[in-house]
Amino acid sequence: MPFKSLMRIILDIIIFFCVIFGLWFVAVPIAIIAAWYYSFYLEFILAGIIYDSLFGMVKGMGLWGYSGTIVAVIGLLLVIGLKKVLRR
Amino acid sequence: MTYLEAHKKPGRRTAGIISGIGAVVVLFFMILYFWLPHLLPALWTTVAKPFWRAQFSLLDGSMQSPDYVLKENADLRQQLADLTVRSQTIQATLDENVELKSLLGRASSTPSILAAIIERPPYSPYDQFIIDAGADHNFVVGSRVYAADGVLIGTISDVLSQTSKVQLYSSPGNTIQVTIGPSHIPTTATGRGGGQYEADLPRDVSVTVGDYVQAPLLNDSTFAVVTAVESDPTRPFEKILFAPPINIFQLRWVMVEVKSKS
Repeated sequence: MPFKSLMRIILDIIIFFCVIFGLWFVAVPIAIIAAWYYSFYLEFILAGIIYDSLFGMVKGMGLWGYSGTIVAVIGLLLVIGLKKVLRR
Repeated sequence: MTYLEAHKKPGRRTAGIISGIGAVVVLFFMILYFWLPHLLPALWTTVAKPFWRAQFSLLDGSMQSPDYVLKENADLRQQLADLTVRSQTIQATLDENVELKSLLGRASSTPSILAAIIERPPYSPYDQFIIDAGADHNFVVGSRVYAADGVLIGTISDVLSQTSKVQLYSSPGNTIQVTIGPSHIPTTATGRGGGQYEADLPRDVSVTVGDYVQAPLLNDSTFAVVTAVESDPTRPFEKILFAPPINIFQLRWVMVEVKSKS
């Protein structure tokens, strides 16, 4: 297996464990770095969905209950946009 | 003559893909929110629960060496012996309290179930944790959750098949009516997160650190204790900070009120 693919799997596992233990402040920087290094790193959005599923998505929380997904989508779009601008 | 483009046009294909992904995500969440609100929480809680239980066992000492467990056992036995004498006096007072209330027609016999806190997300925007009992123990949204000695700390905000989410009253922005001090001064307490509350009272009101805070609309036991009083001579109000008499970050077990099905 190519090193790049293996590294992606390892990063996915690290992010997964950070998310299930609520360590979003560790998962987000790792996901941003991974999104910069890999193209269309949709695992970032999946991590946000998992975080919200475990600790959010409760009526009464409002948008805070989906903060993980929102942060993930915005973060991924920012990284994609920044990559396009810098690599033009 | 062929001219080279001076500027690279924005990738319409990429923008289209991104817009499409965004629309699909929004549609997906709308479907989940209105028709299947517990699909994803139930799925990922089932995946995460074994890891949470392993973490709980590790922190609870179940995976420690036999020598460590024996030493801890001896220490706890000594503490238990010391506390037994004190608790006998307290129990006598409690029994008298219950008896007096029953005589007045206000006896409380709400059943409750012990539940373990299996996950507590750090630095979460909401004060909450996850307990290892849910619909299988007849929990319902709104059931009250108590810490040691009957200290009310929150309510159940979401119930899954085997787990529940507990939202604490101290969640940022949450407000509750309380009374402070021996004079039972009524005021509105606002959650600050991290198990802390704040309330504003007029400067001439006498409140000191250590005064008890009660929430009469919730229950009649001690709700919190005043931890600080911030007074500014230039302001007509002083800020009262208070917190439950137990450390919510060290809680391992809670009691959950079981509501009878109507």
